[in-house]
Amino acid sequence: MSLSDQDRIQRALEGLLSAEEGEQFKRDVCSDPELRADYVRALWLDAQLRADRSRLPSILEQDLPRPLPAARHDEAVQFPERRGLGWGLRWAAAVAGIAGLAFGLGKSQLLDGSVAVLVQADHCKWAGSELPTAVGSRLGPGTLSLVEGIATVRFKNGATLSLEAPTTLRVLDRMHCRLVEGSVTAEVPESAHGFTVETQDMKVIDWGTKFGVSASALGDSQVRVFEGEVEVAGTPHAAGRRLNKGQGFNLSTGTGPGDQEPLRVQTVEESGGWTSIPTSFGRGRDAYVRRGYSAVKTGGAPLLMVKHSELEASKNNERRALITFDLASVDLAPVTEARILLEPKPSGFGFPSLVPDSHFSVYGLMDESRDDWDERGMVWENLPATSDSGPDMQAWRKVGEFGMARGASGTVTISGQKLAEFLRSKKNGLATFLILRDTGESDPSGLVHAFASREHPGATPPTLQLK
Amino acid sequence: MALIGFPKNNVQKLRVPDLERANMSFSPQAVDPTEAFLQFLNQVERGLNLYVHSLVSSNSDAHDLLQEVRITLWKNFATFEPGTNPMAWARRIALHRILNYRRSEKRRSAFSADPEFLEAVAGEIERQSRDLDSRADRLHECLRKLPDAHRKLILLRYFDECGVDEIAQKTERTVEAVYRLVSRVRVVLQECMEKPREAAPGA
Repeated sequence: MSLSDQDRIQRALEGLLSAEEGEQFKRDVCSDPELRADYVRALWLDAQLRADRSRLPSILEQDLPRPLPAARHDEAVQFPERRGLGWGLRWAAAVAGIAGLAFGLGKSQLLDGSVAVLVQADHCKWAGSELPTAVGSRLGPGTLSLVEGIATVRFKNGATLSLEAPTTLRVLDRMHCRLVEGSVTAEVPESAHGFTVETQDMKVIDWGTKFGVSASALGDSQVRVFEGEVEVAGTPHAAGRRLNKGQGFNLSTGTGPGDQEPLRVQTVEESGGWTSIPTSFGRGRDAYVRRGYSAVKTGGAPLLMVKHSELEASKNNERRALITFDLASVDLAPVTEARILLEPKPSGFGFPSLVPDSHFSVYGLMDESRDDWDERGMVWENLPATSDSGPDMQAWRKVGEFGMARGASGTVTISGQKLAEFLRSKKNGLATFLILRDTGESDPSGLVHAFASREHPGATPPTLQLK
Repeated sequence: MALIGFPKNNVQKLRVPDLERANMSFSPQAVDPTEAFLQFLNQVERGLNLYVHSLVSSNSDAHDLLQEVRITLWKNFATFEPGTNPMAWARRIALHRILNYRRSEKRRSAFSADPEFLEAVAGEIERQSRDLDSRADRLHECLRKLPDAHRKLILLRYFDECGVDEIAQKTERTVEAVYRLVSRVRVVLQECMEKPREAAPGA
């Protein structure tokens, strides 16, 4: 059957063209200016409806009849017949729930726009949230960005979500939310079975449970069931898979063997006499390594992951980060103050609640013959002068430390005289640092800390500042 | 994630002459580069939102990409040429990000991941941009002209994000029947938006 161009355009918008028809349509759009113009007009309308999604109820509810009372939900709702063409569509809502979908699904959304309430947000800091962040605020569809603290959102269906900073959560409707990055734990009563938490890569559908989901914005997701049962969907790796108490599932699509191109920036003179040198400058590099995963190169990943565990079950999850700054353009002799800045990012692995406030150590590499390490080839075994148990202190010197409290975020600063002294001692124009977490975890699913690397698409890479 | 989280560090990385140039293109009074950028973003935000949604089939991907595009605009704000079209510049940067994103998009939808196709569509959007922008203002007015049943269908399709197959399943209709109705409502909306505005009474 041959389709008219208008029909092909509309089917393309709905994904209803076969693979062959789709390919032909694409070729025709590229070669036929008239079809291309028509397609773009239809595409633009579709884009507007999608972009204005959250405003549609308020636009369309005007003059709309009040929702039918529950007792009448089994009445059929009729769609009008299409004039002139003789085909019509009866909105056969006799089946349970159908009228609910047509009229009642959006009842709360249509009438007051809210689907959840922010019930707790002690000592929280928020950034760029589209939704109100005062405790007690009613939440409609929109985004919450929690920078610091732990907040609780209760959906009208009874599902309760705890957000652990740094987390960005998009409330979609009363049964769906999307975890953009960070981690949440969910408690879902029977009334809300089917409640779904989406990440970039998968959907976690509740079947009566308490579970945790974590995700990075770059495509790593993890789910762990604390009680009950969930179903994992939306990924070919585990479609329809059921997980029970104690079980978990990790999906790694974003931070594995990274092949991102680093962002190159120049050294800059900042106000107050500080000179900033990011790892993306000159011969600078950054990478992390993971014990037992030497077949996978992680040097080009957008996140530098750090984790320590003394538990047998998660021993192979130990991760260490290595960063090098190019100092060739800087005169180090007059340096009196130095600091390293790291931007924490959600790793998509593990839950903050399973790791106490964490302590980290930073070591400077004294053995200058080892500064010239290969970012793309770096694995656990060839981490310079470092064994399973830690750095060889003949080659490394501890130059600083820092702490990260649960739920805390914001740029991490490592500074002090030891760091400045170490930098003044450097002769080869490079400074390499090893970042280790000293704090272990109480459960193998404990949090993996992460910091933006020079390959991160949006965040500031590790930066050395000198004065 | 949030835009607010980034400017501070990046402001320090912009060279002073570049900042001055960027400011001048918007408001000579705006000495704060963040303020200048926010003015710029305010000007392009709506068009950028539609542009990204038109070239990215998944809403959540479009949302994520928009965040990335805003950050990229901010990082590159100093390279914006004063006197040139801000929307065209924003669209160029957005297209670049979208093309870079196509590899991951391809996992889900090979249809919209073809660079040649994307570039052809993007070029057509650029060509029609003035008309598309002027029509965009009329969407809400046209939505309100829809009969109730069509409004509900739009809510199911675009607010609840049900595909036609899902709507068909829930309503026990065929996919084809639901498709035809959705398609018809969209055509009606498009015709309404493309019609010349009715003159005000007495005009």
